[in-house]
Amino acid sequence: MSEAMIQARGLTKRYQRGGETLVVLDGLDLEMQAGRFYALMGPSGSGKTTLLNLIGGLDHADEGELVVSGESLDELDGAELAHWRAANVGFVFQGFNLIPVLSAFENVELPLKLTPLSRAERRKHAEYALELVGLKDRMRHRPKQLSGGQEQRVAIARAIATDPKLILADEPTGDLDRKSADQVLELLARLNREFQKTILMVTHDPHAANSAQSVVRLEKGQLQGIEDNPAPTARSAGR
Amino acid sequence: MMRLVWRQIIGHPVRSLLTVGAVLVGVFLLCLLRSVVTALNAGVDAASSVRLMVQSSVSLFVSLPISYQARIAQVEGVQAVAKWQWFGGYYQDPSNFFGQFAVDPVQQFEVYPEIELPAEQKQRFLERRNSCIVGDQLFEQFKDEWQIGGTIPMIGALFPHPDGADTAWEFELAGVYHSSSGALDNRTLFFQWDYFEKTADIEECGVFVLKVAPGADVTRIMAEIDALYENGPQKVRTTTEKEFQRQFVTMLGAVPLFVSWIGGGAALAILLACVNTMLMAARQQVHDVGILKALGFTDAATFRLMLAQSLSLCCLGGASGVLLALATEGYLVGVLGTFFPGYTIEPQTVALGFGAALAMGLVAGLLPAAQSARLNCVQALRGA
Repeated sequence: MSEAMIQARGLTKRYQRGGETLVVLDGLDLEMQAGRFYALMGPSGSGKTTLLNLIGGLDHADEGELVVSGESLDELDGAELAHWRAANVGFVFQGFNLIPVLSAFENVELPLKLTPLSRAERRKHAEYALELVGLKDRMRHRPKQLSGGQEQRVAIARAIATDPKLILADEPTGDLDRKSADQVLELLARLNREFQKTILMVTHDPHAANSAQSVVRLEKGQLQGIEDNPAPTARSAGR
Repeated sequence: MMRLVWRQIIGHPVRSLLTVGAVLVGVFLLCLLRSVVTALNAGVDAASSVRLMVQSSVSLFVSLPISYQARIAQVEGVQAVAKWQWFGGYYQDPSNFFGQFAVDPVQQFEVYPEIELPAEQKQRFLERRNSCIVGDQLFEQFKDEWQIGGTIPMIGALFPHPDGADTAWEFELAGVYHSSSGALDNRTLFFQWDYFEKTADIEECGVFVLKVAPGADVTRIMAEIDALYENGPQKVRTTTEKEFQRQFVTMLGAVPLFVSWIGGGAALAILLACVNTMLMAARQQVHDVGILKALGFTDAATFRLMLAQSLSLCCLGGASGVLLALATEGYLVGVLGTFFPGYTIEPQTVALGFGAALAMGLVAGLLPAAQSARLNCVQALRGA
């Protein structure tokens, strides 16, 4: 049995909206193993993105304990959490979230600026990450000069540039056509398979979820269960 | 980080150009107006401590009998006395305005040792009765029309030529001087007193300028000269050159203060425009700030990013404004030089221009930088 990458105990998150308290995560208990590819599914409002944000250290839980990659995130303040994110997590968002005024290369190099790497080393890492996603020849292009699928691959390159153990993807194929979506899913599966990255992917799409080794289901802020997927499709397609 | 700052600036060219343009105009105006105020005070600041001015105690516009010159020269400690008379004419057209004075040539060079010109030109001025000398800046303005040895025709507005008001006084240009002191500008024409006296049949002059001997008691000399004419026929007032120059600035009343207020008002208006621009920039970049924070950039880093954008834009505008002020200095000397002799962009003005731009950048950037730093990452990614 591999070690736990994510451990949540009694995780609760509430929002105030229009004078009403909305419980988005309600005492969630969860454990995810390192080196696996998880799909996080559930209806809208079930707390998927909120859970992803808490695991990624973008937000704090109101109650409960959350340990990710051996670090208890509740004990970290804003700056410590930022440093932790830079070292441990790579994000892939539905809307790609590339900085439009920077080239593909510069977007990928951005998180590397938070490391002690030299300029030459940063360049090497960024080029390698872009090569891995098949976009080295487009590294000088701005995001708006790329297709949606290419933008998402650049975002994946940025997510892996610092070699984090954990990649969090929020609906990474939500804005893509089927062909591009399949390329992205295959890429994520490859990162998990060849580089042992732990991947947690929020998705509504059962086809995308089929790429994962396990499917985590949430409903009304509570865990419904974790099902193993015996034959992940992208994994098979990659072979 | 600076690459991202520049990319954000270049990535929004219209906004950036407008901001840089606004700061450019503000800093240029600041440099221009400060230089005007400095020029107004230049004569006061550069005044010599060994020169005294004797004028009528009634007003500068009341003349003194030229017979006073000999008695003033006899006061112990007075080394030289020169007559000065404002001519008030014009060259070709009334718009060609510059200072013209009838002076005693020999005494003029004694009283104003800062007047520099080649020896042969000086000799020519001393020897030729209808000759004149002009400052190098004035000569530069009319260099296509004037030449040494040539004639400068001047219409005498205050002192019409005896042959008729339309007849020009003709001065032979003996030389071009350069004054190494701000007490005497380089845009004036000086001509021979004797020529003036004989032609206009004058027995009075505007002021006497005198030089005191080294180590002489200036206060005593001033009191003695004033006492000479205590009972008339025309009472005099003797002042230091600094005080004499100051009365011209005083004549302008609150103009220097008014000019400073205009400069300050323009700078404040531009500062407010910059704050507004930077707030808009911060709002446009909320999503980018969210991305940076998600990648692991701290609140302090995003604060610095926004502040650096503001500083870069304002410094770029400030540097351009200062460069424009320096580049137009020569042209403005020609345009404003008559009214503001000594107009120059001093190093302190350059420093003030840069300092103002830097301060603008800091003030304009602080609020948006603080807003960016406070942004919640999740809300920012949603574009809130």
